[in-house]
Amino acid sequence: MLEVTSLFAGYGGRPVLEEVTVRIEKGRLVGLLGANNAGKSTFIHTLSGVVPAMSGRIVFEGEDITTLSPQARVERGIIQVPEGRLVFPDMTIRENLLLGGQHKLARPKRSQRIDEVLELLPRLKERLEQKAGTLSGGEQQMLAIGRGLVAGPKLLMLDEPSLGLAPKFVQYIFEIIEKLHREGLTVLLVEQNLNLTLRHASYCYVLERGRVEVEGASSIVRDDPRTKKAYLGL
Amino acid sequence: MSEILQALAQGFLVGSTYGMLALGMGLVYSVSGIVNFAHGDFVLLGMYLCFALASAFALDPYVSIFITLPTMMAVGGAVYYFLIRPIAGHHLLMVIQLTLGVSLLVQNGLLMSFGGQFHRAPSMLESKLWLLGPVVVRVPQVISAAASFSIAIGLFILLRSTDIGRSIRAVHQNARAAALMGIDVGKVRMLTFAAGIGLLAIAAALLVPGTPMHPSMGLRYTAITLIVVVLGGMTNFVGIMLAGLVIGISESLGTIYLSDTLGMILPYAIFVIIMLFRPQGLLKSA
Ligand SMILES: Nc1ncnc2c1ncn2[C@@H]1O[C@H](COP(=O)(O)OP(=O)(O)OP(=O)(O)O)[C@@H](O)[C@H]1O
Ligand SMILES: [Mg+2]
Repeated sequence: MLEVTSLFAGYGGRPVLEEVTVRIEKGRLVGLLGANNAGKSTFIHTLSGVVPAMSGRIVFEGEDITTLSPQARVERGIIQVPEGRLVFPDMTIRENLLLGGQHKLARPKRSQRIDEVLELLPRLKERLEQKAGTLSGGEQQMLAIGRGLVAGPKLLMLDEPSLGLAPKFVQYIFEIIEKLHREGLTVLLVEQNLNLTLRHASYCYVLERGRVEVEGASSIVRDDPRTKKAYLGL
Repeated sequence: MSEILQALAQGFLVGSTYGMLALGMGLVYSVSGIVNFAHGDFVLLGMYLCFALASAFALDPYVSIFITLPTMMAVGGAVYYFLIRPIAGHHLLMVIQLTLGVSLLVQNGLLMSFGGQFHRAPSMLESKLWLLGPVVVRVPQVISAAASFSIAIGLFILLRSTDIGRSIRAVHQNARAAALMGIDVGKVRMLTFAAGIGLLAIAAALLVPGTPMHPSMGLRYTAITLIVVVLGGMTNFVGIMLAGLVIGISESLGTIYLSDTLGMILPYAIFVIIMLFRPQGLLKSA
């Protein structure tokens, strides 16, 4: 479904990602691990098109999307749930969900998808007219995921969904992700939480200073000594 | 007694027009973070366009809106695209300097094209008066106030409950997240800038009947607009309309009860006093 080949990307002419090659098969739940500043968010941003690729190729469903605009990628179903949720704080839950489905391909199916999201995340349903800024961190994460789902994702990219959440919320969010995956959604899960990710993902990449240091089936990545090393930043 | 009623009515009418001038600035500020110091000069540009159309084709200012509105929107879009966009995100002072440059450009352009004498563009309705009990109001000012409130309400509804309105608010609240929703942030910013300038074309046509124009008047409109926007809380459109009324009424009360010059200063004095006590604006920013 997604093939990234020898990707270089960064900020102000300085590469953060170097020669990153990643493959995601349709229907998989793939993990992307790495310590602080390893370049995980930069990678996701490059897939979303908000950070331009310096070189390399990104192919999605057979189409080269390396230079497409962020809007065009959203329309193709490459949807990011950003780090820190980035919900629109002064808008209600309903408005946030509507915004998720405001691109032109999603609009016809928007109200139906919103109903489905509210079914999946009933906590949002009780608070539809509440401002997103007044929600707890866990509720904001649910909203960010819901907003992404309304866009009609083919590939859902979640950037550290467990960040800063109470353990019961972390568990709940991961159950939701697992459920979406079982229903056939392709997921790229970016996390610092090593064990949780290894448990849910079938295949993992470990980034260290912008390079893929380890990759493989989760059981193999778990036992690879380089994983720990990349994590501790030794 | 009738004197104070007259002043209040006059201030209300003028103030609602100030409110509309300020809506354009507030809209642009809310999505792009840009304070346009050429704001008042664009009002003058709109007024001179009305004057040119009146002298060339004897068009009534109210009719020329159909030409000046699209023209000014195009001008606004071009100014944003070619001048402002390239330096957006740079230091605030650079953006201010740029818009000040645009201000001088427009002002001197008008001076070169139309000369330094006062001009008027007459309207059929110009000298019509209405008597409301003891109060006499000029019909063009009533039209202007009614249009200002209609536009304010229209804008409010647009921002509240349409996709384009939600996109504008999304860009204001978090541009990065808006881009991730598939919103073309650059396009939204350009369109709102164009719409903000287009609003001034309407304001200009509403001001023209009865207001003689001179190229140097732009700065005064910019100053009044800035005061109203700041007083209104920058991005709170209800606050902005309210602030327009406060400034308009204080100005007209001032010119009646104080001397002419002191009256013109009163709005600024009131502005300073309100800002001392409510630096966040009249209403809390939404
Ligand atoms: N907008 C930016 N401009 C310049 N440098 C940036 C920017 N964003 C990130 N960086 C740099 O890029 C590198 C990788 O950052 P990135 O956010 O991709 O890491 P990460 O793996 O997501 O980290 P974290 O786990 O903290 O989220 C860091 O050195 C960071 O300082
Ligand atoms: Mg990150």
